[in-house]
Amino acid sequence: MALIESLLNVLSVVVSSFGTLLLASLGLAIIFGMMGIINLAHGEFIMVGAYGAAIANQQGLPLPISMIVGGIFAGVVGLITERLVIQHLYDRPIDSMVATWGISIILTKVVLVVFGPNFPGIGTPFGSIRYGGFSASIYRPVLAVAAIGLLLVTYYLFMNTEFGLHARATIQDADTARSMGIDTSRVYAITFVLGSVLAGLAGSLFAPIATISPNLGSSYIIEAFVTVIVGGANVLLGTPASSTLLSLISGGGSQWGGTLLGRVLLLVAAILMIRIQPRGLSSYLTNR
Amino acid sequence: MSRVSSLLGAFEGQHTIGGSRRFWVGFCLAVLLVLFYPFVAGLFSVIQMTVFLIWIFVALSLTLIWGYTGIFSFGQNAFFGIGGYLFAIVGGNLIEITGATNVALLVAILAPALFAALLGYFMFYGRVSGVYVAIITLSVTLILELITSSTTGVTVGSVNLGGYNGINTVPNLTLGYGETAFSFGPVPMYYLVVVLLVSLYLGLRYVLNGHTGYVLIAIREDEARTEMFGYDIRWLKLQAFTAAAAIAGLGGALYTAWGNFISPPVMGILAAALPLIWVTVGGRQTLLGAILGAFVLQYLDTTLATSVNSDYAVIILGVIFVVSILLLPNGVIPQIMTYLNDRATDDDYDEQNAQEPGTPATIGGDED
Amino acid sequence: MAHTDRHTSDPILETDGLTKRFGGLVAVDDVDFRLAPGELRCLIGPNGAGKSTFFKMLAGRHTPTEGTITFKGEDITDTLPHERIRRGMSIKFQDVSVYPELTVMENLQIPLQRDRDRAPEQRVDELLERISLREKRTVIADELSHGEQQWLEIAMTISLDPDLLLLDEPTAGMTIDETDETVDLIQSLTAEGMAVIVVEHDINFVRQIAEWITVLHNGSVFTEGTVEEIETDEDVQRIYLGEE
Repeated sequence: MALIESLLNVLSVVVSSFGTLLLASLGLAIIFGMMGIINLAHGEFIMVGAYGAAIANQQGLPLPISMIVGGIFAGVVGLITERLVIQHLYDRPIDSMVATWGISIILTKVVLVVFGPNFPGIGTPFGSIRYGGFSASIYRPVLAVAAIGLLLVTYYLFMNTEFGLHARATIQDADTARSMGIDTSRVYAITFVLGSVLAGLAGSLFAPIATISPNLGSSYIIEAFVTVIVGGANVLLGTPASSTLLSLISGGGSQWGGTLLGRVLLLVAAILMIRIQPRGLSSYLTNR
Repeated sequence: MSRVSSLLGAFEGQHTIGGSRRFWVGFCLAVLLVLFYPFVAGLFSVIQMTVFLIWIFVALSLTLIWGYTGIFSFGQNAFFGIGGYLFAIVGGNLIEITGATNVALLVAILAPALFAALLGYFMFYGRVSGVYVAIITLSVTLILELITSSTTGVTVGSVNLGGYNGINTVPNLTLGYGETAFSFGPVPMYYLVVVLLVSLYLGLRYVLNGHTGYVLIAIREDEARTEMFGYDIRWLKLQAFTAAAAIAGLGGALYTAWGNFISPPVMGILAAALPLIWVTVGGRQTLLGAILGAFVLQYLDTTLATSVNSDYAVIILGVIFVVSILLLPNGVIPQIMTYLNDRATDDDYDEQNAQEPGTPATIGGDED
Repeated sequence: MAHTDRHTSDPILETDGLTKRFGGLVAVDDVDFRLAPGELRCLIGPNGAGKSTFFKMLAGRHTPTEGTITFKGEDITDTLPHERIRRGMSIKFQDVSVYPELTVMENLQIPLQRDRDRAPEQRVDELLERISLREKRTVIADELSHGEQQWLEIAMTISLDPDLLLLDEPTAGMTIDETDETVDLIQSLTAEGMAVIVVEHDINFVRQIAEWITVLHNGSVFTEGTVEEIETDEDVQRIYLGEE
């Protein structure tokens, strides 16, 4: 029985990790994968979403609505960021990375000053399942399912809507897109906001299981980044693939040596992967 | 005077700011002021000033690798941390035997260099570049933070690594041997740091204004083209990366000796961001920009933190940072220099016109 | 014919079955190429013929899928790009790439300083004279005209005294006068014994400069010949008009 419980344990850790990685990296994958912007404030957009959801929930709104509020909240912050800062830096990738770091610092400290170091959390819904000595929260697999769901919605948005078509055209060749009458500035803004909303939704979904503090973002940023880079340019295939690979590695590692080892192994695996194939898993999956 | 000018010539060039007599006079004055500082300031201020200067080592190392060579590295804090930790471990152990930290200092400079050589080989000989170098170096820095944070209860020799709390039993920098070894207290430490920093600055000026400077800048401006002239850019980048790491490692050793303390957060995300901010605001493509940016912003941070609130201080710094990237992409110092240069040229022009109204006007030669 | 005579000596550059495939696309297909020392060859062909890919393989930017490259008698197929340059090859790719923020003089110093501490003044002057930019030595490269930048880059590539010079569309974007001057420049280089391969589209340029022309089409060698032969070849005209 102990073997089955151990296996279930590993499985639950991996599934949980998968959901977390995919959710955390989705918004960033859009922004980096499609626009080449290295948004180091991504973690803080997640944090803002979590706060949005927590505040809405505290005001009595039902949880799903609160989560949407979190997403919208992050979207607004994203819009302001894009209009004030990012839009001037599209041709300066390193500078945009550096500027978003500044924004990340500002957001962290502003939230700290306004809300203090801690904020009441949201209870974890759905309870848990048990098998012998094994028990796990049902919420975590739900996160994984939600992550996949959001991924599919995003895919649909980019593949089957007019906006998606404009966005893909702009990303491939902005000049040609402009000459065909597409307002590329608007496309960039909307894409960035979309990425922010996804980050915010991720934060909202994390809210019930995370400690809500201004530093929440820092727990997700580097893993999100690494997942995006290892995944490569193809968001639909690459991001879930790298989430799977990295969650297996970090899940296995944390079973063996705790969360620390899990994180270290994840980073080491990412470093090796970047070295072996900088274009990420996408290049294996799309034959390019 | 001409012998001095020709000597100074080696330290002047297009790649560093300042090359006129005015500049060098100003420089000497600044150094004198700095040397005189402990006589007018209290002990606490001297100690505070020392750590500002120590962090400038990291700023200079970042300028070398990023500003001049074009390699965006988040790893300088990793090398700083390695230098610091090794100084603490080796120094803490050997001081009881030799009574000094000579070896510790040496190890603190060489080990980060060796680590950088290995990491650099892994990256540059694997043709990793751009944002990928940034991600890898950031990951390495964070991995080191994670590892050092989990060393609670781990001892190396007689030194307890202390996990997240770090090592707080680090001896002073002690050079010499046995009974005659000199232990650097706060004021001697200050002077040592000043001397090392000035030497480093002059050394970098010399190197960067010569052949090496051109090569690094060529790599920064167009790596592929430079390779096509027969330069082995992998090896050159590796050398720059290693040298920058040694500088950061030295900073780490000095920091640890200064505070008798080293802990994991120096390799955390926020600490890694700071040198980036200083150098970006100050002007990453010049040494002077890095130095002034690092100094002024640290000073600002500390002043705001004590007078207002440390969190507000960070917010203000963050805003300055973002604004300067948007408005002054090359940094504040180069902008000031351009302004001063333009004014100097105008002044000379006006002067010429006023003195010789009959002759055709010529633009006065700019001194800088 | 004069051309075959030259091939009695050892070729300075030789490719054997050189092929490059990108997934399903064959960019360069089994190309056998021989160049004598001091020879000037024009490489022409319609767009997509594989000329640039061929060049990039010679430079080491692309690894051949099959085949070998021999330079001065040695197999350089696996040699690193910077090594090839050191052995006496020099390349100017299609898009002009000088160092825009450096002055004309500083640009020339970069290649000249490679193996020594400072570039000899005399050599810099010589090169500047050759490309008629002597008076502009302290001008920032970005401020030069497009044609001047092309010449600057050519000067930089010849500053290392290569035995083989590869030029990919050196007259792209140049005026007619500038093109004529480039013809003179290249001819003076061959007169000094430098082997040159030029990829070109400009038929005037080719007519003035070519001794022997290699025509590429769909990645393989379509035909070779003198200017007259190629100009009157109906098949060559057809491939340019896209009928094959």
